Amino acid sequence: MTQTSEGRARKIARRVALEQAIARRSDKYAYSAKDYAEKLTQTKLKNTQVRGLETLAYATDRVSAVIDWLKVRVGRDDKRNRWAQDGTGHDLLATLEGLQRDARDIAVAIRKDYSMPKEDSDLERQVHLRLIREYLKHLAAHFEYQKSEVGGE
Amino acid sequence: MSDLAYTLTLRRLVAAWSDQSRKDAANFANKHRDLLPRRITSTQLYGLVNIVRNAQRFGDIQRFIRHQREKAERAGRQDVADYWKEMEQVLNNLRNDARELQRQAGSLPPTISPKSALDTLHRQLTEEFVQHVLAHGSYWSPVPRTY
Repeated sequence: MTQTSEGRARKIARRVALEQAIARRSDKYAYSAKDYAEKLTQTKLKNTQVRGLETLAYATDRVSAVIDWLKVRVGRDDKRNRWAQDGTGHDLLATLEGLQRDARDIAVAIRKDYSMPKEDSDLERQVHLRLIREYLKHLAAHFEYQKSEVGGE
Repeated sequence: MSDLAYTLTLRRLVAAWSDQSRKDAANFANKHRDLLPRRITSTQLYGLVNIVRNAQRFGDIQRFIRHQREKAERAGRQDVADYWKEMEQVLNNLRNDARELQRQAGSLPPTISPKSALDTLHRQLTEEFVQHVLAHGSYWSPVPRTY
């Protein structure tokens, strides 16, 4: 194998390992996301508002864009009947920020097995954003499903 | 470096910077939490966000902040004036971060002038920072808004 094709194979192996690690975590998030979805179903939130958060997570390249969006929505909810109801938005923020720990674990393992200095510097942040997307994907899906079960929208 | 490669590299660097600066912005908002949302209103903060988004140059943002500071001084609200003074200082200092990011992004494409690139980047970092301050400020607002 030439040096170039070895490098390419290594890059692919790294990407596969990363995708697998993210998929494993994602499956674990389904249960906790379902709990949040159930709590949010008790609020006045509509499908579009929850979908909006998911869409934002997929469109942005910043973790902070998702966190800021949610902070503003919780802050604006003066009547405490949407994101701020029963502290659900607050807890969700803490959960999403807490995914950084999982991102760190994944980044450490990937760096150990497939070190690539140029890509490594921003790896943890990028994995964190991927995990947030996975989490919100479960949340939005459960929310929409449960909302239809209880006859909303 | 080509225009596209430079733009993409810079975009990634700004995204990483933005995520890192969230903590500083939250600390800034927390430090002045007692002023929000009565003394420093959401309208003023959204005004700043709008100016930052639409400003062509960093000087336009400075002018807005100075105007807010002078208004507060004239009204005898020194705590509010101090808030805007500190905000101006913090935003001015972002120019050093912009310089560092520009250095990390590598050589500029020949079509871009270094001074205008630095100014644009400084304005971009300001937008990110102010957005974080606004989000954290409204999240922690101790008194519900009345509108």
